[in-house]
Amino acid sequence: MENNTTSNEYVRGTLKTIVLNLLAEHDRMYGYEITQEVKDRTGGAIALTFGALYPVLHKLEQEGLLLTESVEVDGRLRKYYSLTHRGNETARTKTNDLERFIDAVRLLLAPKNLATE
Amino acid sequence: MKRLQENRIDQISKYLQANKLDPELLPEILDHLACEAEESLWDGKPFEQVYHNMVKTADAQTLLNLSVDHQNLLAMEKSLNDIVFENRNKSYGAYDLRKGYGQTVQRAVVMGVAFFLLLVMFPKLYAELVPDLKSDAIAYEVSVTPIDIKMEEPPAAPPAKEEPAPVQKAVKSLTPEVLPDEKVMIEELPPVVEDLQNAQPSTETVDGVENLDVIAPPVENAPAAKADVAGVAPKKEETFTYVEQSPQYAGGNEAMAAFLRKNLKYPRPATQAGVQGRVFVQFTVGSDGKIENATAVKGIGFGCDEEAVRVVKMMKDWMPGKQAGVPVRVRFTLPIAFQLD
Repeated sequence: MENNTTSNEYVRGTLKTIVLNLLAEHDRMYGYEITQEVKDRTGGAIALTFGALYPVLHKLEQEGLLLTESVEVDGRLRKYYSLTHRGNETARTKTNDLERFIDAVRLLLAPKNLATE
Repeated sequence: MKRLQENRIDQISKYLQANKLDPELLPEILDHLACEAEESLWDGKPFEQVYHNMVKTADAQTLLNLSVDHQNLLAMEKSLNDIVFENRNKSYGAYDLRKGYGQTVQRAVVMGVAFFLLLVMFPKLYAELVPDLKSDAIAYEVSVTPIDIKMEEPPAAPPAKEEPAPVQKAVKSLTPEVLPDEKVMIEELPPVVEDLQNAQPSTETVDGVENLDVIAPPVENAPAAKADVAGVAPKKEETFTYVEQSPQYAGGNEAMAAFLRKNLKYPRPATQAGVQGRVFVQFTVGSDGKIENATAVKGIGFGCDEEAVRVVKMMKDWMPGKQAGVPVRVRFTLPIAFQLD
């Protein structure tokens, strides 16, 4: 549980990029699918809660980066998300930004003697 | 894969609604939780336990936070209008008006300023487009060319066509002259009585109209006709009513008064009737001073009118009236007073 909250703290800042990146790899996804995908690929290290995911999805949709379509499945509406053209570009730039940021963080976190080697 | 029954889904939906979840989020959260629940059911857990776990994860506080987070994230983009018109009829028109208000005001300001500037600058613009001849001139010299105004001459009255005065039939009848015998021309014998029955004696034999003597010649033509029987009709002159210098009796008004006193006789009928008053005699004083056309235009009757006309006709020549120094014919009205002693 402790582990989970700390990961959530980092996830909050990177969630947009993660969602955009995942959608760039798939045609369309729905909310639960995204959480499952994240869980599977990180081995459960990062668990997205619905409380964090859905507001972000709605926000991206409002910004014009995502398209939505609602399909009725098993007696309930399922909302699928896909990237718009602008969403694709944003996904690419954001992914690049995050990668550079992670590299920088890695440099900061590494012991000094190792970093100079 | 096990699926949730409709009633189970309804149960979850009601739970979410009871916790006042944002309606925009509700279907997705419902789907999400249902998927989780199905996963748990797949693991062989009973629904009651699954539902219990679900309520534990998605407790009231979590759902409230979710709604608030969602609102806050989206509200950054929302304008005041979206908040004011939330849950209201946006298609009514007021929403559109409010939404376009900024643009409308901007356009109105631009147009107003442009119009005002145009109004203010118009004189300058006009002066710019229509340049003056001299920009530093204070006054302009205006040259005036004299215009020769010619009085339009009144159209000459068409000359009155005058029929040649009918000439009376005449037979040559000269006064016998006493001449020596050798000079006597026997051809010119005095006219016989038969010839003179239908003709007037004249200096020449003219083959004219017979019996014309019945027509009395007009008064003004009388002297002319006397002067020249077969002559041309006298040139008609313009007759003035008012002239610069009125005609005058030769000798002045006193001489005229004396003349009238001397010649005027009070007619007997007028005396008997005791009539007195003034007779207005109108006549024309010719450019040569002769009196013509004397008539009584307003009289008192009883022979006074005729008497006045008679005396006026007796008058000798007047001094003609003058217009621009040239003697002209003037119509003149003379009042003659008849007064009993």
